[in-house]
Amino acid sequence: MTLTRSHTNPPELTADKGYSHSGEIEELLHDNPNLWRGCDMAGQGFYGRSTGFPRLDDILPGRGWPQNGLIEIITPCWGMGELQLLIPLMRSVVEQGKWILWIAPPYLPYAPALVQAGIDTDQILVVKRDTSCKDALWSMEKALQTSNCGLVLAWQNWLPGKVLRRLQLAAETGDTLGVFFKHHDSKYSPSLIRLQIKDSASQGRTFSEAEVTVIKARGNFRPLTTQVDLYQHT
Amino acid sequence: MQQTKLMNELAGVVQSVSSTVSFHPLALICEIRSSLKYFGGIEAVHNKLKPLLIAELQALQLPDYFLYAASPTVTGSLLLARSGHNALVYRKDNLRSALGKLPTEVLWLGKEPNRRLYNMGVRYLRDIWRLPPEGLRKRFGSDFVKQLNKALGAAPEPTHNYIPPPAFTTCCELPYELENLDRLLPVADEMLAQLCEFLRRRDLSTSHLLFSLLHEKRDSTEIDMALRQASRSREHLMLLLETHFGKLTLPAPVIAVRLEVKRFDAFMSHSDSLLAEDKPTARRSQRNNLDQFMEQLQARLGDHYLKCISSVAEHCPEYASQQLDYGESIKAGRHAEPNSLVRKNTEGGRGAAIRVTSIPRPLWLLQDPQQLVLKNGKLYHRKPVAIVSGPERIETFWWSGTDVRRDYYVAREANGSRLWVYRERSGDRNWYLHGYFA
Repeated sequence: MTLTRSHTNPPELTADKGYSHSGEIEELLHDNPNLWRGCDMAGQGFYGRSTGFPRLDDILPGRGWPQNGLIEIITPCWGMGELQLLIPLMRSVVEQGKWILWIAPPYLPYAPALVQAGIDTDQILVVKRDTSCKDALWSMEKALQTSNCGLVLAWQNWLPGKVLRRLQLAAETGDTLGVFFKHHDSKYSPSLIRLQIKDSASQGRTFSEAEVTVIKARGNFRPLTTQVDLYQHT
Repeated sequence: MQQTKLMNELAGVVQSVSSTVSFHPLALICEIRSSLKYFGGIEAVHNKLKPLLIAELQALQLPDYFLYAASPTVTGSLLLARSGHNALVYRKDNLRSALGKLPTEVLWLGKEPNRRLYNMGVRYLRDIWRLPPEGLRKRFGSDFVKQLNKALGAAPEPTHNYIPPPAFTTCCELPYELENLDRLLPVADEMLAQLCEFLRRRDLSTSHLLFSLLHEKRDSTEIDMALRQASRSREHLMLLLETHFGKLTLPAPVIAVRLEVKRFDAFMSHSDSLLAEDKPTARRSQRNNLDQFMEQLQARLGDHYLKCISSVAEHCPEYASQQLDYGESIKAGRHAEPNSLVRKNTEGGRGAAIRVTSIPRPLWLLQDPQQLVLKNGKLYHRKPVAIVSGPERIETFWWSGTDVRRDYYVAREANGSRLWVYRERSGDRNWYLHGYFA
């Protein structure tokens, strides 16, 4: 459900006039993550899971990753810090006792690096790279549907919207987060969030920083960009 | 152990004439009174059983000679058979006189009591009949008197009965040939329902099934379903079967389906709790779900496509991480109780127990290092590469002949990739890309 209010007055101005007697309604509306109002981007509640990067939290609706659904992370090439961005999330998933499934990653996930990041590798399962695309998608759907998997990571460059929608629904049934890593952005993807990571070193930034753009996020109406220090946790 | 096995084999044969077979020291006893009418008398039973037993004994490579007797009581028959007379007693009233003829050795009393009986002038059982039971109890113990009473039918005789091992095979002939696996599912479902009912009645579960699809003039297509955790849930088995069917291509139309259980297991039940939050039972059922999910994944992808990773205490970077098949790692005893605090405390968690270096390692490792191009003193991957930090020197395996002598650097490609590169310290001193700081 999406509700947009036509008038653009900031809510602080109108609150003391018309809304004073309906404070409870206001509160109820406020707490519902399915409902967003274009006018009050900043005050959307805290229903998200913190990303671990305060600056990124600031520009995501609900101040964090959604509870379930699909996220797309777009990088022009691998090694831009796309996994580093998910490390705090992975850590919290493992702490909940849930599994992380890596589906057909392009390279070997390197266990010592994960241990360094504080992630128990016992709860990581990898589906090998040479699995057929059909099987990979099948496992992704099944993994998203079970409640035992907290996070499903997949590397697929191009997928039709129909498939993505199906995965999105699977993620909602299983209350699981699915993350796609891809090289190219597709405009009409049904994913909840599309993030782009860009290189920021050229602008004189340090090695560990990356520029993250939220191209699309359900509950957000314009692209926002921030600088994130990827290695602040290690 | 060997003897128990042989006795079981023989009991299986004896079952052809009697439903109640029990084991005794060096003897098998079966109840035949209730089947006399069916077989048409004791002679018929004897004629039927003897060749069967001889054949079985020969098959087991044992001497095909045995003693037998029939009487109204278990112990009576046993004593009669031991005497070697192949006697037959129909009525309980005649037991006393029939047993009376037997020497006391058939009681298998042991040396000392035998000697005492001999000294008392007792040679045959009929001599014992004449003695007062109270005195016998005092001298030889109550077991002795009880045995005699049992033999005469004056005391109850509880027995350990032979229970045949469970076996389940069912076959369903299809009314017409089927080529579409989806149409087979209802048939398979029906068969699994039968199986689950069978298992439920016997309080068993199964961990290995064989599903055969029979074709005409062709070997059957077999689906070998081995379960990680024994189950008797129809839904779970059906789900697994559907997953197997999903991968299967039929070489020919199916004319019949056969289901066979290869392995039975005891059923381990657990109660589902109503208010399940963070309770051991809840966790266990979650664990069950997980096992079912993993099983499904394994069934679809194949054994070698599902990997677990773990770090190894090893200096050389490519050996510091190992991949194991999920099934293997289960056998190796990992994942026994994930998230259990006890384990974490005692072992410190398997992953964390191995100390890893504090120098940053990349999240991606290339299986085979990729050589970088060095042109005019500049390093290129796809784009120019600039060194950010390093070197970290890794030298190992000097003892094995395949020396590893490398200087590792963290580098950055012009397009923004963070790379982990190394330069060999021997040979051509080439540069290689070994990982990505993703």
